[in-house]
Amino acid sequence: MTEQLRGQRLGMTGSKTMALQGMLFAGPKPAQQKTRLIYTADNSVALPGRDVRSEGAPPSGDQTVNEAYDGSGATYDFYQKGYGRNSVDGKGMRLDSTVHYERGYDNAFWNGRQMVYGDGDEDLPPGERVFNRFTVALDVIGHELTHGVTQFEASLVYWDQPGALNESLSDVFGSLVKQMSLNQTASQADWIIGKGLFTARVNAKGIRSMKDPGTAYDDPLLNGKDPQPAHMRDYVNTSEDNGGVHLNSGIPNRAFYLTAAEIGGHAWERAGHIWYVALCDKLGSRSDFRHAARMTKQVAAKLYGPGSAEAKAVQKAWTKVGIKI
Amino acid sequence: MKIRVQRSGGFAGLQAGTDVDTDSLPKEESQQLKELVDSSSFFELPPVIKSRNPIPDRFSYRITVESQGHEHTVEASEAELPEKLRPLVQRLDAMRRSKRR
Repeated sequence: MTEQLRGQRLGMTGSKTMALQGMLFAGPKPAQQKTRLIYTADNSVALPGRDVRSEGAPPSGDQTVNEAYDGSGATYDFYQKGYGRNSVDGKGMRLDSTVHYERGYDNAFWNGRQMVYGDGDEDLPPGERVFNRFTVALDVIGHELTHGVTQFEASLVYWDQPGALNESLSDVFGSLVKQMSLNQTASQADWIIGKGLFTARVNAKGIRSMKDPGTAYDDPLLNGKDPQPAHMRDYVNTSEDNGGVHLNSGIPNRAFYLTAAEIGGHAWERAGHIWYVALCDKLGSRSDFRHAARMTKQVAAKLYGPGSAEAKAVQKAWTKVGIKI
Repeated sequence: MKIRVQRSGGFAGLQAGTDVDTDSLPKEESQQLKELVDSSSFFELPPVIKSRNPIPDRFSYRITVESQGHEHTVEASEAELPEKLRPLVQRLDAMRRSKRR
């Protein structure tokens, strides 16, 4: 990231920001190009696999391939329209995705170079399934690509608080990709991560709730209730999952939701802009929750003014989840 | 022989575990599991097989085998899971999934 670009990012202020960005980044002659390539692993663990759909090619007969293609396209568009970012690395990197990874694979991941999606339990008879295929939810695709963005920007390590922050940033921008594609305001959005990922036999709204962490599901098939904390007093100290990165992300997730809800309107425009600038220019590999709180407040003050409603919303949100700035 | 596989992490961050006592299984299945443990050279594997930089959203495994007075535990990240151990992990995962019916 050049100093000039940093200056541009921080120099954009107020409600004119989006109009300005619209002119700058969605002009008649787009200098930036979206390039996608979808592969299938044919139920193996070999990556990237066999290529099945390239940029501009007509839809495949395979729905999963098309979901990965459309979802990575929507994520590219989100970063480009929202923040003028050209792909995951900011330099137009091709977006590679592999679908049909392994068999009965209840997961999706970013391996440092590409996205990978499992089919969930779609190899089992419908009545025995818990997970649907992982391309089914657009926010999951946005989540995985954002791990790539984080890798090229703050480069947060993937354990303890920096890891939970890394996870939270993926949920934040994953949710915003979906909100932009549905043109939802903060109050219209459901703030659920992974809606549609569980089958109808599971008592669940989704995998995580950014609005009310700890309430996304409650079902014996999932060992009971969603265990995410919503406040620092319930922070989970554990050695599992790299220090509970998918649990403790509930705390910064809620801080983002509260900021967006307080500011109102489209969450990607102001709350998302603040978080995006913090991710690119302020956070580092070992940033913890308090550092993220301080930096988002600082960015909000710089972008919108120290006494602005936006800066106040950020401060109030972090305080509400138990983090003093 | 007792085998336990505990999985954490992944996009959903769900804990998933399987406990098996081969004595409680039909003879053929019990024999197959013992062979999978043998072919993985389980008791010679190092206790921790993880890279310094974990990969986002991948699973972490903790595998314990108890046999004839010996007990050994291996912690491995999914990306570093030894190829010879994968069939055992896959087998126990299939048993876990079939129990959710």
